[in-house]
Amino acid sequence: MSGLPGFLIDDRLHFPSCPSQGGQRFLVEMAAPLTLLLVLAVTIRAALFRSSLAELIAERVEVVSPITAWKRVVEGLALLDLGVSPYSGDVFHETPLIIYLFHFVVDYAEITFMLADVITAVALYMAVKDYNKQVFRKQKFALEADRYPLDCLELIRSPKEMYYIPLKVAMFYLLNPFTILSCVAKSTCGLNNAVVALFIFSTIKGNTLLSAIFLCLATYQSIYPLTLCAPAMLYLMQRQYIPVNFRRASFWWFIAQYLFMYLGSLFVLICLSFFLLGSWDYMPSVYGFILSVPDLTPNIGLFWYFFAEMFEHFRLFFLCVFQINVFFYTIPLSVKLKEHPVFLIFMQLAVISIFKSYPTVGDIALYMAFLPVWSHLYRFLRNTFLVSCVLLACSTLFPVLWHLWIYAGSANSNFYYAITLLFNVAQVGQPGRSQRRLLIESLTETPCSPLRKSQNEKSY
Amino acid sequence: QEFSCQIWGIFFLKKTFKGNLRNYWNFLPEGFINTQLFTRFLSRISQDSAGQFFSSGHTNNWAVLVCTSRFWFNYRHVANTLSVYRSVKRLGIPDSHIVLMLADDMACNHRNPKPATVFSHKNMELNVYGDDVEVDYRGYEVTVENFLRVLTGRLPPSTPRSKRLLSDDRSNILIYLTGHGGNGFLKFQDSEEISNVELADAFEQMWQKRRYNELLFIIDTCQGASMYERFYSPNLMALASSQVGEDSLSHQPDLAIGVHLMDRYTFYLLEFLEDIHPASKANMNDLFKVCPKSQCVSTPGHRTDLFLRDPGSVLITDFFGSVRKVEITTEAIDLTDPIKEVEERPANGDVHKEMHSYVDQLPVSEIIHQKPKQKDWHPPDGFILGLWTLILLVFFQTYGVKHLRHIF
Repeated sequence: MSGLPGFLIDDRLHFPSCPSQGGQRFLVEMAAPLTLLLVLAVTIRAALFRSSLAELIAERVEVVSPITAWKRVVEGLALLDLGVSPYSGDVFHETPLIIYLFHFVVDYAEITFMLADVITAVALYMAVKDYNKQVFRKQKFALEADRYPLDCLELIRSPKEMYYIPLKVAMFYLLNPFTILSCVAKSTCGLNNAVVALFIFSTIKGNTLLSAIFLCLATYQSIYPLTLCAPAMLYLMQRQYIPVNFRRASFWWFIAQYLFMYLGSLFVLICLSFFLLGSWDYMPSVYGFILSVPDLTPNIGLFWYFFAEMFEHFRLFFLCVFQINVFFYTIPLSVKLKEHPVFLIFMQLAVISIFKSYPTVGDIALYMAFLPVWSHLYRFLRNTFLVSCVLLACSTLFPVLWHLWIYAGSANSNFYYAITLLFNVAQVGQPGRSQRRLLIESLTETPCSPLRKSQNEKSY
Repeated sequence: QEFSCQIWGIFFLKKTFKGNLRNYWNFLPEGFINTQLFTRFLSRISQDSAGQFFSSGHTNNWAVLVCTSRFWFNYRHVANTLSVYRSVKRLGIPDSHIVLMLADDMACNHRNPKPATVFSHKNMELNVYGDDVEVDYRGYEVTVENFLRVLTGRLPPSTPRSKRLLSDDRSNILIYLTGHGGNGFLKFQDSEEISNVELADAFEQMWQKRRYNELLFIIDTCQGASMYERFYSPNLMALASSQVGEDSLSHQPDLAIGVHLMDRYTFYLLEFLEDIHPASKANMNDLFKVCPKSQCVSTPGHRTDLFLRDPGSVLITDFFGSVRKVEITTEAIDLTDPIKEVEERPANGDVHKEMHSYVDQLPVSEIIHQKPKQKDWHPPDGFILGLWTLILLVFFQTYGVKHLRHIF
């Protein structure tokens, strides 16, 4: 269980060769705490399922959205049993594969969602473990190549610190109140998170086909994971040592391969969904619904308030503006963060969960699970206290102002939207700050000194 | 109604006297009066033929009892109507044949010291609001329009049967109105009036639609006789409590309740009717003698000129009761006609009895045992096949074909 200490030799940092076989050792050694964590998480969820809070939570607009509500899944299945297409009317907005899945497990829905959470946590755990290994290996090479100056000591990660990060990630996901709420509400966001987590895991493992397939599944369910194509491609290229250079043919060849796999599986999935119900009416109901935002039920997103007061004449324009806003950050961020594709994934997930049309707390829980991965940057983050307080306060104020608005009638929608805005601002601030520090860290490739550091701070 | 009658008359003239049309068109100004008389003549012709038809009598009885005034101090009008209702019901007319319209609720009025009662005699001798009073039109539903619609039958299709006057051409109808009236009008709800012309036209419409056989009209208001002055339809007999220019007066106040309980005319009418039983042979002449001027301060009036039969031959129970004409015979009537029996001979020759089982219309067993609903929809097989083939393909692609060796 002991870490490997670094020691100073001739003003150079040396680390003993980090055992790559330690990966398995880690797994064996960490299996017990992970299992304990899983058991604890499942217990909490099971306890909440049995209590009367389950119905209460299932109705909260912060936890379920018109797309992910369990009530709508049950309604869609009931409609199907009555011989009516579940996409008729404004009831069901999930994909046909969800129908297929829940047709058989609707009686065991709670177990399904708990299993989804467990899969997510395990996938994240293993992904982060693998990522840490690679980061550590890169760091070791960089160290041995004498590319780190001495003053960047505090930025160097030791295996001791990184030993517990995967467990922390799993813990951050499983014991996050947002995740628990989302699971107890049986929101299909949990399934979406599971697919994205599997995608991240397969990407970090380096499996191109699986990564493309899982990304396709995630995109098929809600369109926004499309933006994760770019970081996935970047990471896989780097892993296969393909230089990220527009002039190289291998670059384009790899992109073509990946896109072929991705688009091919997307095409196959869509055709398969057609065969499930025999009609295309799931397309406007699922994708049309996500893109055109007809349902303006209040949620923690930014769309509803704006479009409630939008004149019909301008609706299409602003709809396009809002939707492009989600996809717009992909290219600049990929250009900036091409050396750190996993961080790019984290940023993209944050952008998606803030700017998507029907966000829920489940989406937030997924990217918040990644925070321990960059815990070495925390020391340098400013306004941590402020941001975390704002997040906490907003999370508490959501149900309060909802009650005041809807039930007591002494507030109105402005109150609720103000809290939504504040929440999203805090969310934007949080990865943004991490990004700053990460960019600064990335410059440690070049010699850095305290003077240099401050200079870099100024320019960013 | 009169105008339309005249138009009808003119058309009738045009049809039957085409040749002499020019002559009649010349007489158009005075022709109006002529046509009125002519139509009356025509109706009298039809009456003669109808009279033979109607002398066979009535087969059912109806009663329309209306109290038109509201407010606590008009307690007596409600008591009037309820007394007549009571008598009519006692003598045999069922609630389904009585349309009772009360403009206000005295029994449950806040000022009623004896709730759920309406007394007709002082010292609370007689409670005319029993346990089985069925009011069809109550409160603000008692309007001139509703009253006329009930009489003429022009009600919206959603009106329930209890609010309809479903009389036919063999019905004897008793119509009783009470409230505040004047010369030629009766006040409804202190806000609108019905005039004697409207009433007469309503009765004419009833006659033309053959909605009554004979009609007895009783009114207990001030100057009540003015209301039957304008009648012109056949088979109408009318009684009123006072002549034109006279006021009908109330009978006796009850100090415990604080209002006058009845009007004089109806009070003595009720006394008279209390002596009538279904087998009674009292006739209309006795009814005309009810409440002479000595008892009612006003002079009651009646009108029988439109009535075909002699009032002396009209029984009280013809209008107030529902007397069935029963013919008792001691002969035995053979109901068993020879019925041709169709015997079913099955093909195989032997007669077998069909076992009739009770049709299982309601799946009671399923409801009782609450079986879980069967899922009717299943995903198509092609879909399942395709999906799992793909999954297997991806699996083997990822983990290599060499694992197949371990599986098989």
